[in-house]
Amino acid sequence: MKFEGRLDTAAAPQVEKEMQQLYECDGHDVVLDCTEMEYISSSGLRLFLGLLKTAKPKGSHVYITGLNDDLRQVFTMTGFINLFEFK
Amino acid sequence: MNLDKFNRWRKSLQTRSTIIVLVLAAVLIELTSLVQYFYARQGIREGVEHRAKTELQLKNLEIQRVMTAVETAVDNSVWMIEQQLAYPDSLRGILRQIVKKNPTIIGTAVGFEPNFYPKYGRWFEPYATRTEDGFIEVVQIGSEEHDYHQMEWYSKPKELGKGYWSEPYFDKVGAMKMLCTYAVPIHDSKGRTVGVVGADVSLDWLGDLLNAHPIYPSAYNLLISRTGKLMACPVESLILNANIHEATARVEDTTVNRINQQIMSGISGQATVINEQGEKDYVYYAPVEGETGWSMAVVCSDREIFKSLRQVARNLLLLMLVGLALMSYILFRTIRGYKNLQAISAEKERIGSELHIASAIQMSMLPKLFPPYPDRDDLNILGSLTPAKEVGGDLYDFYLRDEKLIFIIGDVSGKGVPASLVMAVTRSLFRTHSAHESDPSRILTLMNDSMAEMNESNMFVTCFLGSFDLPTGRLRYSNAGHNAPMLVGQGVGMLPVESNIPLGVMNGWRYPLQEVIIEPQTTIFLYTDGLTEAENINRTQFGMERMMQTAQTMYEKSLHSPDKLLPAMSDAVKAFVGEAEQSDDLTMFAIQYTKTKRAVRMQRNITLTNDVQEVPKLSAFVDEVCEEMGFEATDTMQMNLAIEEAVVNVMNYAYLPGTQGDIDIVAQADDLCLKFTISDSGTPFDPTARPEADTTLSAEERPIGGLGIYLVRQLMDSINYERIDNKNVLTLRKKLTSNEIVD
Repeated sequence: MKFEGRLDTAAAPQVEKEMQQLYECDGHDVVLDCTEMEYISSSGLRLFLGLLKTAKPKGSHVYITGLNDDLRQVFTMTGFINLFEFK
Repeated sequence: MNLDKFNRWRKSLQTRSTIIVLVLAAVLIELTSLVQYFYARQGIREGVEHRAKTELQLKNLEIQRVMTAVETAVDNSVWMIEQQLAYPDSLRGILRQIVKKNPTIIGTAVGFEPNFYPKYGRWFEPYATRTEDGFIEVVQIGSEEHDYHQMEWYSKPKELGKGYWSEPYFDKVGAMKMLCTYAVPIHDSKGRTVGVVGADVSLDWLGDLLNAHPIYPSAYNLLISRTGKLMACPVESLILNANIHEATARVEDTTVNRINQQIMSGISGQATVINEQGEKDYVYYAPVEGETGWSMAVVCSDREIFKSLRQVARNLLLLMLVGLALMSYILFRTIRGYKNLQAISAEKERIGSELHIASAIQMSMLPKLFPPYPDRDDLNILGSLTPAKEVGGDLYDFYLRDEKLIFIIGDVSGKGVPASLVMAVTRSLFRTHSAHESDPSRILTLMNDSMAEMNESNMFVTCFLGSFDLPTGRLRYSNAGHNAPMLVGQGVGMLPVESNIPLGVMNGWRYPLQEVIIEPQTTIFLYTDGLTEAENINRTQFGMERMMQTAQTMYEKSLHSPDKLLPAMSDAVKAFVGEAEQSDDLTMFAIQYTKTKRAVRMQRNITLTNDVQEVPKLSAFVDEVCEEMGFEATDTMQMNLAIEEAVVNVMNYAYLPGTQGDIDIVAQADDLCLKFTISDSGTPFDPTARPEADTTLSAEERPIGGLGIYLVRQLMDSINYERIDNKNVLTLRKKLTSNEIVD
């Protein structure tokens, strides 16, 4: 799934809806393409985490790609860098 | 060397040396006693010998006196009779005189040769004798039956030609007594023996004389005649019936025979014999002076002589044994006491070193590094604690959290180890309960509940707890029975405090909150009663007046910063106390607020409603501010993230669900930092009091929430919450780096 722009608290509800389909992945791996993502706040991180918690028991991997340096720093700060796999 | 073995060897050495000492002492005492005993015996022997000889001499003299008297009487009569030979009738008178004059003479007789007086015939022996009624009668006793010429008393003197004492004999006919006769021959003018005059001496008195006043109760004297017959002896049946040989014949002892020989030979001396009981007897013997040919002996038993010496020796031995027992007892007790002392000293040393370590541990619990925040320009802090013993019950602590200085000063009841333990607990509780709670009254209440629960020893702690908001200068505080702090700013005064009760006294006590605004440059001076109650030798206390006076003096010179005020106070107390011993822990802790207002270089604000959809508006606002500040893109993004998190937090929690409310955001910058102030008038909500997210948890363990404030803390330099005028005020600050400062 591709993310574009700012994933802030205001945008979160909408993004959550769109991510629903990812929750029914059932064994398939999920790729979150963040190349175009400029910004993510805790709401967005929460969505990613929620997805991971659902996918992992099903055996699906969640991959994140295209994370720029600033965003990578946010992931590091919050420890999310250890939770996801990156490509 | 194996320490255990060494100790055992040393212990047994101690025991052995004790035993050796005791044995040596015993041997020494025994030797001394033996020597003394020996000399005592010697002395007694000599004494006995001396007494015996004296006895012999005395008795000798007594006997002699009597015998000599008789001898003299008879000797004198010889002359008279020789003068009166021609007048035989006058003989009566002479004889009567002799008897009358000598009480010891029983009778006197003069016997003549046969037919000397033809008219009297063959036998003529007038005899004067004392009758029972005291008269003296003279009778002629010579006859055929009484042929005196054959008798020893007549024949011997005649034969010898001089005075002669006969052998003692028992007179069964006449006097019925033991007698002895002294006779002297009578000569005529031509020197021919014509007769013999003799006097009979009773020897009854001899027994009494001899055995009166014996030198020892069981000692006795013997008198032995010329032929060895016993004349006086304790066994009456032996008198004159046995001679000394027979008497001693039962004892087969050559010593005895030798003694007998010697006695018979008239030699004086002494000897030791074994009597029939097998015990030793000492015999001292000497001849009686004079013509009698008698000998005397004194016999005393070894047992009796040395009886008292033996008793003394026995008592001494007993005493010595008792003494030794006592000595060994004392010695062992002393050794044990010494060992106890060693053990006690070792224990004392151990306790002393443990206290040292405990003291070090306690000191490490106190803030040590001063100044604690050198890169801050709004605070000066200095503290000092001097315990009375190695460990004590005073405490003070502080730390910065979210632009607030949270501090405590306390005093545990009591001193020493118990107080130090409670001090450690109190400090722990302070740190624990103030980590997520900024309200001092809440913190104290929580601490008190914890302490009252576990307070079995009924110890309590007075304390003063403060939360000093550095941006605003607002001091929130709560007091639990502690001394009111002194404020040195606009003059010298005391902070108004409610005393309440100390911690640990009553579970459930609610501590009220107080607050005050502290003006810049004011020093808050905190202390324990170790300062105000410091005593000098006159038992006067330093007191609050002196404390305030010292502060006043420093204030007037503008030297009331902590680094100057504390030494001044310390010196004042030292000078006051002088030689007296420090009786309580002395603690001082000063906080000076040195905030200076800086010029505002930029200010912008925006108001939003509590709807997360307003976030883009917020984002635009932040971008504007950051652009004006000249921030890089990365920094701007970070600011955006932090502000969004903080504001969204407020939007979600400040107002009751469904309620609409305003959120004001003010951005302000001075030379040193950029701050965002987010205010709302919702319910009191302190986001800084929440526990932080744990970023080390795994995906499964991570909770969904809690990230917001965490990010804010990570991205901003400080976060500060205050409730001011019924509003929640959250301030986020970011220090400016050099390239962000815009002219």
